[in-house]
Parts: sequence; C-alpha cells; structure tokens
Amino acid sequence: MATATAWRTGRATTLRTWHMTRRAYPWTYAVGTVLPAALTIALGYLGFHAIGGGETGADFEKGSGTSAYLAYLAVGATAFQFTVRLILWSAKALITEQRQGTLGALLIAPATRLPYLLGFTAFAVLSSIAEFLTLGVVIGALGISIPVASAPGAVAGALALIVAVFALSVGLGGLMIAAGEAHISQNTVFIVLGLLCGYTFPRDYLPGYVRWLAEAFPTTAAMDVLHGTLTGGHTLTDLAPRLAISLLLSAAYLVLGVRTLPYFERRAVERTY
Amino acid sequence: MPDTGIEVRDLHKEFPVRDRGLFGPRTTKTAVNGLDLDIPAGRITGLLGLNGAGKTTTIKILATLLRPTSGTVRVDDLDSVADARAVRRRINLIAGGERMVYTRMTGRENLWYFGQLYDVPKRELRARIDELLSLVGLTQAADTMVERYSRGMTQRLAIARGLINDPAYLLLDEPTLGLDAPIARDLRRVVARLAAEGTGVLLTSHYLAEVEELCAHVYVIADGRHLAAGSPAELKTATGSLGTVRVTVPQVPPAVAEVATRFGATRTPADGGGEILTLRSPDHMAGPLAAAIVGAGGAITALEIKEASLEDAILALTDGTVPGPVVLA
Repeated sequence: MATATAWRTGRATTLRTWHMTRRAYPWTYAVGTVLPAALTIALGYLGFHAIGGGETGADFEKGSGTSAYLAYLAVGATAFQFTVRLILWSAKALITEQRQGTLGALLIAPATRLPYLLGFTAFAVLSSIAEFLTLGVVIGALGISIPVASAPGAVAGALALIVAVFALSVGLGGLMIAAGEAHISQNTVFIVLGLLCGYTFPRDYLPGYVRWLAEAFPTTAAMDVLHGTLTGGHTLTDLAPRLAISLLLSAAYLVLGVRTLPYFERRAVERTY
Repeated sequence: MPDTGIEVRDLHKEFPVRDRGLFGPRTTKTAVNGLDLDIPAGRITGLLGLNGAGKTTTIKILATLLRPTSGTVRVDDLDSVADARAVRRRINLIAGGERMVYTRMTGRENLWYFGQLYDVPKRELRARIDELLSLVGLTQAADTMVERYSRGMTQRLAIARGLINDPAYLLLDEPTLGLDAPIARDLRRVVARLAAEGTGVLLTSHYLAEVEELCAHVYVIADGRHLAAGSPAELKTATGSLGTVRVTVPQVPPAVAEVATRFGATRTPADGGGEILTLRSPDHMAGPLAAAIVGAGGAITALEIKEASLEDAILALTDGTVPGPVVLA
C-alpha cells in the first residue's frame, strides 16, 4: 500500500516536471546546458595538445591509473555536468515550490517527500540522457574514445553516483528552504564537489588533509568506481570496497537528510509566518 | 474513525524573532496564546480577529504546516503531530492569498497531480476532477494552462484543489479574497452544501457578512487569545451592538420633536426638505418609533432599518469596549 502510494507520487512528480519543463524551456535549453561540459573538454583538449604536447605526466598516470587524459577528462566533465543537473533539480525542488507559492499545498498533502524527490531525480536522469547524447557528439568530434575496462563496473559506478548525488541533494534541499537561499549554497556545493571529488583530475594533486575531507562525500568513491572501471583498467571486483563506501556514505546522508527535512520544512513555513 | 471533530486545547505558538539583523538578539513572538477551539463535523465555524490576531497561524497549525509550541490539536481523535499523515488525509486547506497551484500545468493536470499526492483511488479520480472543475466553473478552461487564467480562475482552481481529497474538515483562510462577487457567492453555496453534507469547516474571512451568512458558531481572537465565542446573533447581543433606524419626515411639529427626544433620536436635515430622525438602538425600535411619530400627528416619507452588524460586535470586542472573554453558547 505504502509502496504503491510512493510509486504514484514519484511517477506523478516525474510526469509533472516533464510537462512543466517542456513548456517552460525550448529544446535548445537542453543543448545549452551541456555547453559548460563541452567547454571544459574542449579547453582540456587544447591544453593537452598545446601545453602538454599530447602527453600526460607521470604524476597524472600515477593518480588516475591511465595515460588517457582526454578520456578521463571527458568522463569526469560529463559526470560533473550530471551532478550539477541532478542537484539543480532535486535539491532545488522544494525551494522552487516555495518561490512559486505551491510549497504549502505540497506540505499539507499526505504524500511523503522521498518519492517526491525521487520523481525529480528520475526526471533529471532521463533528461540528462539527451544531454549526454549531445555531449557525446562533442567528445566524438574531438576524436576522444572512452575505454571501458568493465561495463558492469561502469554501470555500477554511474548508479552509485546517482545515489550519492541524490543523497546529498535531500539535505541540501532542506537547508535551502530553511535559509530561503539557493544560489550561494548550490554554487558552494558545486565548487566543493568539483574540486574535491576527483571528477576531472586525480585527487593526488590535492593537499593531504583535503583528500581526507573529500572522503566525507559519497561522490568521491563513486567517481573512483566510474573512472576506475572506464579508464583505470579495473574490474568491479577490484573497486567493490570503494563502491561499498560510496553506498554506505550515501545511506548516511540520505538518513540524515530525510530525518532533518521535516524540521527544515517547518522552519521554512515559520520564516514566512 | 469517529467523527469527533477538530479539538484544539490550550494551543500556544511562539516564533523566534531576531529584532535587529542576522546577529541581533533573539526573542520570541507569541502568535497563539492558549486557544481552545471545537470544529465539529457538519458545521461552519468562524475564526475572526483583526490582522495579526493569530488566525492564519492557527489555521497553519491545524493544517499541520506548523507545530504548536504547546497544546494539542486532535482531528477525529488523531493527534496532529504524532499522526500528521493520517490527519492530512482528513483535512485540506484553501488559502485565498496563496496560489497553491502550478501555473505551467492545466487546471485538469493540477487536479490530477494533487489527486496522486492524496492517493485518491484511480477509478474515482477522473470523475472527481470533472466534478470539481464543474463545481468551480472551470470545465471550459480545464485544459488551458493556469498561467493564462485570471486571478479569479486561479483561485477557483485552488478551491477545487482543496476539495480533491473530499476532506472531512476544510480549513478556509480568506477563501473569497480577490474573487468576483458571483464566484464568491457560488463558493459560499458550495461551502454551505459541504457543511450540510457533513464536512466540518473552519472559516476566516475579512468579509464579515460572509461569516455572518455562513457560520453557526464564531470564535473571536485577539493577540492569539480567545475573546469570545457564540453565534453571530449572540455575539451582537452580548456586545450590545446597535442597529440603526432612519425615519424621514416632511416636517417636525412639536409633538414629533418630543417623540424624537423621548426616543433619543438625532435630527438632521434631509435632502429635498424635511428631517431625518436617526435612532441607534440594540433593539428593533423601528415599529415603536414609527407608531409614535404617526400617533403624534407626523407623517413618514421613508423608513430605513439597518440591523446590528457582526463587524460592530467584532470591533467592540477587539478594541476593548467589551471586556473579554465573552463565552456564549
């Protein structure tokens, strides 16, 4: 019964978001969203050839487990773009409701928040597929090929990344509505994740204490799995401990987010009493 | 589930407030201060008070949007904090000042979406959506995006949204705010019909004529405190609110002047000649006054009777003219 109700809420939210987004934005919006990632890859391409002479240093190879810098960068930039999109949809869902005057109507409904947020995440994942295809054209045009050491591992890594970003988004969404602010918080998270979690460069370049801090985010271990099973030459078995760490951290963030969300929601209502 | 109504006991709500900036001293503001309310099934109950009296905060607590600082709210014997989800299935809120619907969806899509959130059975949902769209007069605009609706149409859709779960208790916070008169009248009819069919309704409105027309029982609050309760007629009687009788006479011979003095009526010149005798009285004095004027040899060209209003009673209660609390039936 509860599962069926949750399914209805999640599915309805995905459909609702699809309709509203399709009406609010032209299809070119989806193309526009991949441009930052395309630019990152293109600049990396230019730098790699113009400055690096088409070769990577030993330190990069040691930290990343590959000499295929452009493939590493393409995977990381795509994953980061996806992370940004997912946070923008899932974490901002409630504050968007607040801004458009529908938060009260949502909060008094008996539907629970987790399937609602999962509905947004499902939409974000589905809409990102179109964006990835566009990004794939850019990657292909630059002649970058992505090695796949372990397809099951890459799928597991991608799923772990989705779970990790969703888990972070629940708590972040709560903070946003309680503070009534999204821009500083979301961009701070983007910067922290982009710099710490090993999306586009190996974490070995970071100071030691920052590397430890990076381990507090489930996205770090998820990116290790994704990079490792694509460009790193590892199997899923090799990276099973990292996958487990990512999932455990995600579970912890999710529990924390779900537990604190009702408090943040009440704070949001009180703020505007 | 027994229909025991909504029972509010010793309700308090305090909000933390920073008086000066982000790092200023933190104080608390008391919005609701010891309220007791009973909202039974099948009755329209009014909640009145001036701005800042605590009406909206109270309604938000009843709607589970806010938690009380202390005190209890029970809905059909369910605790609104511990059993919040079960309570949400039994209530709904329509707030006139808030949009509460999605503008980039059609009216029908909005109702469908909220039907999913309220887990309305699939086999019933389509029929209920059609019924509600008809009820609020939006059948023709059902498949038009809400951003193309007028303000009144949007408000009517918000009303339909508030009825999507067929609530046992309906909380109405200024529901006719911004509505055209015919739509407001239709809404009042809908609310009266819902109550007649067993829905318990709590209504706040600045349109006191609306409250007087609909509510069998009214609570008056100020500064979050209970001031008075009773039927609108009882409140008017208890506060000594005065009705007005205006009698226009073509001329005032001494005998009629003596009647005016005896009744305590004031005399003012009337447009087009003659005088207007105005009498403010708690009782219905039009008959005795008219009879006395005629008996004294006077003539009457116009007679206007204005009954005591609930507005007068509320103002008398809230400005302290009448010491509270006044508890009637």
